[in-house]
Formats: sequence, C-alpha cells, structure tokens
Amino acid sequence: MTRVAIERLTKRFDDTLAVDALDLEIGDHEFVSLLGPSGCGKTTTLRCIAGFEEPTSGRIAFDGVDVVDRFPEERNIGMVFQNYALFPHMTVRENLAFGLEMRGVASAEIERRTRRALEVVQLGDFGHRYPRQLSGGQQQRVALARAIVIEPAILLLDEPLANLDAKLREEMRFFIRGLQQEVGITTVYVTHDQGEAMVMSDRIVVMFEGVADQIGPPQEIYNRPATRRVASFIGQSNFVAAEVVAREDPDHVRLTTPLGPMRARFSGETPPGAKFDLVLRPEAVAVTDDAGGDNTFRGRLEERYFLGNQLACRLRTEDGELMSLVAPPWLAAEVGAELVGHFAADRTWLVAR
Amino acid sequence: MSTATRPARAGAWLLAAPALGLLTAFLVLPYLNMVVMSFRTPSTSNVFAPGFTIANYVDVLGDEDLYYLKILWETLSLGFVTTLICLVLGFPLAYHLARSRSRWSALLYAFVLSPLLVGVVVRCYGWIIILANNEGLINSSLRQLGWIETYIPLMYNWVGVTIGLVHIFLPFMILPITAAIQSIDPRLEEAARSLGASRLTAIRRTVLPLAVPGIQAGSILVFVLTISSYVIPVLLGGFNVVLMPTLVVQQLLDAMLWPFGAALAFVLAIAGTVVVWLYLVLTNRLIRGVTG
Ligand SMILES: Nc1ncnc2c1ncn2[C@@H]1O[C@H](COP(=O)(O)OP(=O)(O)O)[C@@H](O)[C@H]1O
Ligand SMILES: [Mg+2]
Repeated sequence: MTRVAIERLTKRFDDTLAVDALDLEIGDHEFVSLLGPSGCGKTTTLRCIAGFEEPTSGRIAFDGVDVVDRFPEERNIGMVFQNYALFPHMTVRENLAFGLEMRGVASAEIERRTRRALEVVQLGDFGHRYPRQLSGGQQQRVALARAIVIEPAILLLDEPLANLDAKLREEMRFFIRGLQQEVGITTVYVTHDQGEAMVMSDRIVVMFEGVADQIGPPQEIYNRPATRRVASFIGQSNFVAAEVVAREDPDHVRLTTPLGPMRARFSGETPPGAKFDLVLRPEAVAVTDDAGGDNTFRGRLEERYFLGNQLACRLRTEDGELMSLVAPPWLAAEVGAELVGHFAADRTWLVAR
Repeated sequence: MSTATRPARAGAWLLAAPALGLLTAFLVLPYLNMVVMSFRTPSTSNVFAPGFTIANYVDVLGDEDLYYLKILWETLSLGFVTTLICLVLGFPLAYHLARSRSRWSALLYAFVLSPLLVGVVVRCYGWIIILANNEGLINSSLRQLGWIETYIPLMYNWVGVTIGLVHIFLPFMILPITAAIQSIDPRLEEAARSLGASRLTAIRRTVLPLAVPGIQAGSILVFVLTISSYVIPVLLGGFNVVLMPTLVVQQLLDAMLWPFGAALAFVLAIAGTVVVWLYLVLTNRLIRGVTG
C-alpha cells in the first residue's frame, strides 16, 4: 500500500560509514531483502527507514512524502526485531493490543482484531500467556502478529528467523512470505542468509560495507552477478581470469583464459583490454568425454564428496587452479583420475576483476 | 531444584556462616535486647527497675495529646515526601545513566555518587552555608537582587531538613533504579515506538513497570534511612523539627529513660516495617507478569 523511495541514504557513526549513498525504490506490495555479510549496514538501513537512526544525509520518502523528520511513531511502520522485543510484563493479547491502544481503537475492535491476528499466526489459544511461557517459534509469531495487527504501511523485519532452529527457520520463510502475499504489505527484510532472501524476496539488495553492489530479482542476482563479491557471497563460484577478445553477438563474448580460449555469455560493457573474471557456478560445470569441444578444460580429480543426490568434486587444472564442479552421484572416477570439465556458454557470466 | 545443586548449597551456607555470626552478634542480639528493654520497669535512679510492664507502650500510644503518635506520623510523612522527591528526581537521572553512551555519563555518575563521598556533618554545613536565614547564599543573593526584604526561611524547618535528606539519600534511589534499567532491553522502547507510542509513553509503558524492582529497592532504602535519620534533622532542623529518632536519643541520653526510649524505637520500627510491607504488596501487583 506504500512505495518507499530511498535516495543517496548515508549514515556515518563516528568513524564508520555504515551506509554509503544507498539508492533504492521499493514498490507497492513488494518484498525486498537487504542481504549481506554481518556489519555491512543492513540493520542501519532498516533503522533509518524506521526512524530509529537519523541519516547523515539523503532522503527517505513514503508514497512521495519525505519522512526523515518524522519520529518512528509517526511513520506507521510494523517492526519485527531479531530478539522479538516482546513486552515481558504483558500477555500476548496485551502485546498485540498495545499498538491499537496507541491508535485509539475502541476496545471491542481491539478485541476483534487481536483475536484475528492471533488466528492468522496460529496462536488462537495463547492470548492469555506471557511471552516467557512461549517457545521461540511462538514468540516469533507473536512478534509478527504484533507488527501486522496495526495494519502498518510498511513491514520491517530484522533477521527475524536468526534465533530459530534450522527446521523451523525453513518453515517460517514460507509462512512469512505467504502472509506478506496475503496481506499485500510492502516489506523490507534484513538477513545474512541467502537462502532466506532467495525464497522470500521479489528483489534482493546485496550490500557490502555500506554499498549496494546489486539490486535485482533472485535469479538475476544469482545468474548475472554485478560484482565479484556478489558472485562469491551468493552461492558458490569458480573464478577464472579472462580477457575479452571479441564480442560475438550482443549476449556472447570470446575470451582468452589460462584454461584456453572460451566462449561466455555477457551482455555488459566490454571496453578493449578490460580484465574480467569468468564466473563458473559448480553446477554449470559437467564432466564430459569430449576433450576437444568448446569450453572444456582438463584437470585431475583431487577431492570427491558423496552428498547422496550428487557428487561434489574438485579438479586441479593444468595451471594449478582448483575448480569446483557437481557430478552425478554415479560417476565412477577415483581421486587422481584425469577428467575433462565442460560448461555451456549460456551458464556463465563475467564480473570485473 | 535438582539434587546436583545440594552440595553447592551446603557450601554456600558454610561460606555465609561468618557473616551470619556477625549479624547475630551485632544486629540481632542488640535488637532483642532493645525489645526486652522496652518492657522493663522505668527507674529514676537506675537504668531500669526490676520487673516487666507494658506501661512504656501505654505511655507512647496512649498519650493524652497524642504527642508521640503525632511525631510518629510526621516522621513517616517526612519519609514519604523524601522518598517521593528522590523518586521523581532520581528516575530520570537513573534512566539517563543507564541509557546514555556519552562520555559525560561517567562524570554524571561521579556527581551522583558525590554525596556519599563526604561525611554527613560536612555536607550539612555545606547546606547551612547555602540555606542559612541571614547570611545564607540564597537569601543574601535574593536580598542583593532586591527581590526580598528580610529572608525566606529555608533552614530550621521542614524545608531545610527535606532538602538535606533528599541530597544525601538520592544516590540510594538512583543506583538500584539504574541497575534495573540497565537490564531492560532498549529494543522494548523501540518496539513500543514502532507501535505508535511517543518517547515518554514508551518509557512509561515499558521501562517504568519493568524497573519496579529497582524502584522498590531504592524507595525502601530512602524511606528507612529517612525515618531513622538523626544528624541531618538536628543540624538543619534545629528545635523546630522533632522526629522519632530525636525523641529516642533524648530519652536515652538526656532523660536516661532507657525503657521508654526503647519502646519509642520499637514502635517506629514496627510502623516502618508495616509501611514497607504495604508498599511491597501494592507495587508487586505491577510486575505480576515478570515475576512469580
Ligand atoms: N550505534 C552505532 N554506533 C557506532 N557504530 C555502529 C552503530 N550501529 C552500527 N554501527 C556500525 O555500522 C556498521 C553497520 O552495522 P549494521 O547496520 O548493524 O550491520 P548489519 O546489520 O549489516 O550486520 C558496523 O560496522 C557497525 O559496527
Ligand atoms: Mg544487523
């Protein structure tokens, strides 16, 4: 129901530049994740949107209205904290009613809306309990219910699943995404877990040291990483030093690499002489018998790990590079065997070195 | 409790034994002695005469003009007022000390603790210099400004005593509340604000109720210290402010009426205990969700 526009958002703490000139447009109903390693400025960005941190410079607008000068309580946000921050001296129902009381909602209406919100998060019978009488997963859902019962313009979540065990975390991804779709609320989600961001988001903002390296849908982030650190942070990658020889067509280039001449998919700019890294995802590399074909390289099998549905392998190439690849679990090769790796040009990408 | 902790418990008792011994020797025994003394027969030539009586209590509680009960009531009232002022002044300071990350807060800490670092008599003379009727700092300044003709009575009355008590006991209110607030997650206030509460409302609805144990501890300390204070009321109140401890000391040292003095002291102790108990019962309701 609300668009968020962030322009040149910068936040400096004494000597750290936590957020550096971030530009981000979030559309109505959109689910955007801020993804990046610890300390990259995700929380700070979220707290600027919420109003708990005052930006050093830059603009934040909700539906075109600048909100930088507004207090958090004047921004109509719903926020879920990493540790949930449930009021320990209030029952679950009182926790949910708090935001409605602040809005002057009549008590009958408060009763109706808290009951509905508790049903939505499947905690219908827990209204009279205190937070400490609930499990971590239940507390998490109370925090979620408390944030949405006020029907905020924007939902902000800071690593809400970080304190849950692995199985519950997996379930809650789908639960939160489903809820967001149902309510249709504009959502900003902070996480350092790429799986979470991939599953839940319409778009992902990948941040490093306060800078957004790339903003885009999960597939684009994974298949066409904008920088080397995006490629290595999201999923696994082999990087092969490459130099562009010529452009073949708008989407493909010819390269020279230490592994020999290669063809790769790349539609970005290729100024003459520019140095790149060829991004090769392990699952894009297959073992082949055809030693002379396009995009092949030789290597000795150095490590193999049986993972059930696949075999994770590492090949040592002739010039000493270690290349990860994924083979079918029935591959018979033993450590020391000479193998040929092959990849399709369309499953590669280039990043600046 | 699991059985595994039992040996540790026994060890803890052993460790506490010397302290318990000291407490018994220097606190419990004198207290019992006082209770016994309060039931002894008064004497003019000796500390007490043989035999036991309840006459001392009849004298305290049944005085025709209700003189002693009036003094008791004034003592307790001074306790309420001092505690309330300390709470109202102390809570914001404690909140600031607990939450501020500024380098000035260390200085503020030292300032808050400073009354404890100087002896009580010295502090009182400091206040006398400020509050005195003719040559006091406040009165002479106001006179020089031409705002007053003679003086505002700030000393040798309840005002002076209250100011002195608040100054000296404020740290006992601030320290437990600061400790309590430090253990409250600052995210709770942020959660409240994200839900639409103003800064003050967020503090009132989250920090204040959760700081109740600290408020209880601070209030009880200040109240008990106030109703048993002697030096400050004597120095800053003079003859105009008579409190229970003043009476007790008069009976014991001037009149040498030990049994009667003991009865007065015991009545004050009981009254103070009842007030503290009532206070705890009432305030414990505020924290039902957090404890028990
Ligand atoms: N209140 C603060 N004071 C000083 N530095 C801070 C503060 N909050 C965050 N930082 C710094 O800003 C950077 C970004 O922090 P944060 O936004 O919390 O990262 P993330 O949430 O991505 O882990 C870090 O280097 C952190 O140390
Ligand atoms: Mg964070």
